[in-house]
Amino acid sequence: MKKQGRGIATIMFGFGYGEGFPDHSIASAEIEDSGKILIRTAAADVGQGVLTTLTQIAAEVLKVKPGVIRIIPGDTHLTKNSGSTSATRQTFFTGNAVKEASEGLLSNIYHYASIEFISNHAELGIKDGYIFRNDNPNNKLSYWELAKKVAEKGETLKVEASFFPHTDKPDPKTGQGEKVYVAYTFVTQIIEVEVDTDTGIVQVLKVYTTADIGKAVNPKNVEGQIEGGTVQGIGMALMEEQVIKEGITLNSDLTGYLIPTSMDTPRFTTRLVENEDSEGPFGAKGIGEPATIATAPAIANAIYDAVGVRIFDLPITPEKILKALKEKRKNK
Amino acid sequence: MSKLMIELTINGKKRKVETTASTRLLDLIRDDLHLTGTKEGCGKGECGACTVIMNGELVASCLVLALQADGAVITTIEGVGDDKCLDPVQEAFIETGAVQCGFCTPGMILAAKKLLEENPHPDEEEIKRGISGNLCRCTGYQKIFDAIRLAADRLSSRNGGRGEEDA
Amino acid sequence: MKKMPKRYVGRNILKVDAQEKVTGKAIYPDDIYFDDMLYLKIKRATHPHAYLRRIDINKAQKVPGVVKVITAADIPEVRNFGLIIKDQPVLIGIGQKMRYMGDALAIIIAENKEAASQAVNLIEVEVEELEIISDPLRAMEKDAPLIHKDSNILATHYLEKGDIKKGFAQADVVVENEYKTSFLDQVPLQVEAGVGIYDEESEVIKLWAATQWLHDTQADIAQSLGFPKEKIRIIQPVIGGAFGKKEDISVHIHLALAAMETKRPVKLTYTREESMIAQSKRHPLIIRMKTGVTKKGYLTACQVEVIGDTGAYASSGLAVVHKGMYHCTGPYNVDNVKGVAYTVYTNNTYCGAMRGFGATQMAFAYESHMDILAQQLGFDPVQFRMQNAYGIGSSTPNRQILTRSVGVKETIKEAAYLAGWKGER
Repeated sequence: MKKQGRGIATIMFGFGYGEGFPDHSIASAEIEDSGKILIRTAAADVGQGVLTTLTQIAAEVLKVKPGVIRIIPGDTHLTKNSGSTSATRQTFFTGNAVKEASEGLLSNIYHYASIEFISNHAELGIKDGYIFRNDNPNNKLSYWELAKKVAEKGETLKVEASFFPHTDKPDPKTGQGEKVYVAYTFVTQIIEVEVDTDTGIVQVLKVYTTADIGKAVNPKNVEGQIEGGTVQGIGMALMEEQVIKEGITLNSDLTGYLIPTSMDTPRFTTRLVENEDSEGPFGAKGIGEPATIATAPAIANAIYDAVGVRIFDLPITPEKILKALKEKRKNK
Repeated sequence: MSKLMIELTINGKKRKVETTASTRLLDLIRDDLHLTGTKEGCGKGECGACTVIMNGELVASCLVLALQADGAVITTIEGVGDDKCLDPVQEAFIETGAVQCGFCTPGMILAAKKLLEENPHPDEEEIKRGISGNLCRCTGYQKIFDAIRLAADRLSSRNGGRGEEDA
Repeated sequence: MKKMPKRYVGRNILKVDAQEKVTGKAIYPDDIYFDDMLYLKIKRATHPHAYLRRIDINKAQKVPGVVKVITAADIPEVRNFGLIIKDQPVLIGIGQKMRYMGDALAIIIAENKEAASQAVNLIEVEVEELEIISDPLRAMEKDAPLIHKDSNILATHYLEKGDIKKGFAQADVVVENEYKTSFLDQVPLQVEAGVGIYDEESEVIKLWAATQWLHDTQADIAQSLGFPKEKIRIIQPVIGGAFGKKEDISVHIHLALAAMETKRPVKLTYTREESMIAQSKRHPLIIRMKTGVTKKGYLTACQVEVIGDTGAYASSGLAVVHKGMYHCTGPYNVDNVKGVAYTVYTNNTYCGAMRGFGATQMAFAYESHMDILAQQLGFDPVQFRMQNAYGIGSSTPNRQILTRSVGVKETIKEAAYLAGWKGER
């Protein structure tokens, strides 16, 4: 018999290293001869799309097309520490560092251009990589032409900036601290499942997700994180377990350690709550880890709703469900 | 280890390659032919990252011995579109956001192409089944399904009208 | 007021690295080749908890194509590495302990992969077996053998807010349960891999290997080898997924040693098995949670004991287990909180970072609890969450007051609306 059920989970995630652990990112923005604007950052893109996020932020501030922005691959000798790609921190920390560096570069573009144009800053406008006098837009200089003039003076159009917010080290006895995390991301998921009471197999049918992420710099990529994180959560809830007995791993390959395939995926409906109210760039908060946290508990709650059994240890395998159903029938 | 000579057609080019009895097709493609788009994810035929098209079928190249590919016609990701003119499936993957870390992507694209070749208008179940041999850990598969749907639409309108077979 | 749309921020700009990935042109570490490149294989522990008494590499060295086999005896000056505390040996030496099946005993360097694989199987190892501690509860017992020099309880963290006794006294309903989560593998599709080159003139070791934190990995390698940081250069290739598994040193130091030894380019790529056995996992947590609530449906107290199996080495364990504890109430107003979190060594694969870092496991506990409480009170699960959820001015388990960006109630309302949740059961 197949029974359907629905469960909700609401979670929080304090992101960044927190706890007074020095958490900072250093980035720089510079005009390159090649007609590009170079952003130097060591932020690792592990697939989550930080390189695209940073490109968008820099393009927005400098008012150039994203294709003009170039980010060099992380290199210890060419880029400064941007902190790890972990703790759901890159958009917030490196995003802010890149925003600051871009704003600094833009300010300097205004500064040097105002010298060339013998104007004040307010008399100048920028568009598509050009800076010009508002009262005579045809009298313009591209950022790159300006950079050449700046170089002639022996200076460069390059700005380095960093984002280094403070957090507090918690009291060792109580864990108390005024600001232990820079911010929290909140996510709610409501998940519908179908449980086969003869086999114990659970199919995840629908996932509704709402995420309070401040601002989605790239909504599609945020959705991608939520979808990917949710499917990982399905794995954690229903099938993933590295079996280590007496120190020996018994299922050390993908035949024995099961992760979700395309056949295990539900239908998604996702809504982003964007109040643009955090300290992050353009009000953004992080999503990387919160994207996976609500799923396993929502599924556990949905299974209870469907068949009235609660499993207290993950993964909730078919064997555990059948055993619990048997117990339930016995107790009746 | 004694060397043996095999000949295969790969991405349209005939190649003669020296190999050994224990070399896998995957190693031949990557190490000997320097086509590194095909990846190794598990070495046991479970993940699909090593997918190539061999004699018209999808195979896990980590499970095929190079010797078995003697005389075969093989397509790897390098044989699909190019920077100047991307294949519609490649374009669709980019447009729908179906690429995160990209490691599953070459194998996934070949599986998608094979699916659409055999079934130009797959429904949701058929799409899921069509790529069920390819694991993706990053995307949750959703935008890969979107990409396949988008590519299917584009390919069918490219092939004239809606392309639907008359009942 | 309607917010002004931006030109690029907030838009679905196509990913800047997508094209190279769909064409197969993206270069991941294993895609890097050099002429004259050598291949590495690692001989790993033969027992989860044992002293290494003898290691014989003679047969391995004689395999045609094997260039060199490095053991701990060759690198006496190399120090332990580790993310937070440096408790992980680069190679286990005679008289030293292997503490899990992923510990490295030798580095085989060969002209080709077959020779390297052959040689690994010909290395003979003799050990003196010790009690294998696979259960963190056993590890915590007073008479359990020590896995490292000090207590198997690597760290204990505490949480205290308000008055827990008073909190439970105020409660009409108290629910207490034990939750368990399992060892998980991050399973990024790309396993650990890297290439290293040593430039004799500049004495710089150049590594191409994925890492989630470029400069901290550089620092860890440098301190282990005893070199200035400038002598270690890491260049990021394209990374095929991480989810926490690429935070710890994997191939890096072994590559550096082999590159310096042979003065040739060297490559090391793990098998999936090796990745699952030797590299970090998600901490399994035992969470004993007790929560009190009034009959009107307001939470009054939350008490939690967390036991985290961090495996053979600390890695991120010092941070993960108590971060979970710091999230124990979930996003709900609870005035009285008490918690203790233990990070415990065992002889299992060491645990480190994995998406959510303790908070993922903890959510299974608190959100299961919320539904159990709601049911006992006869409340709708959505309504129950709404009336307890954070708002501006709420205080977290750490007593941090949330002064901005607290959209949790909105997420609950929106989700319920999207799902058509009517509160009927």
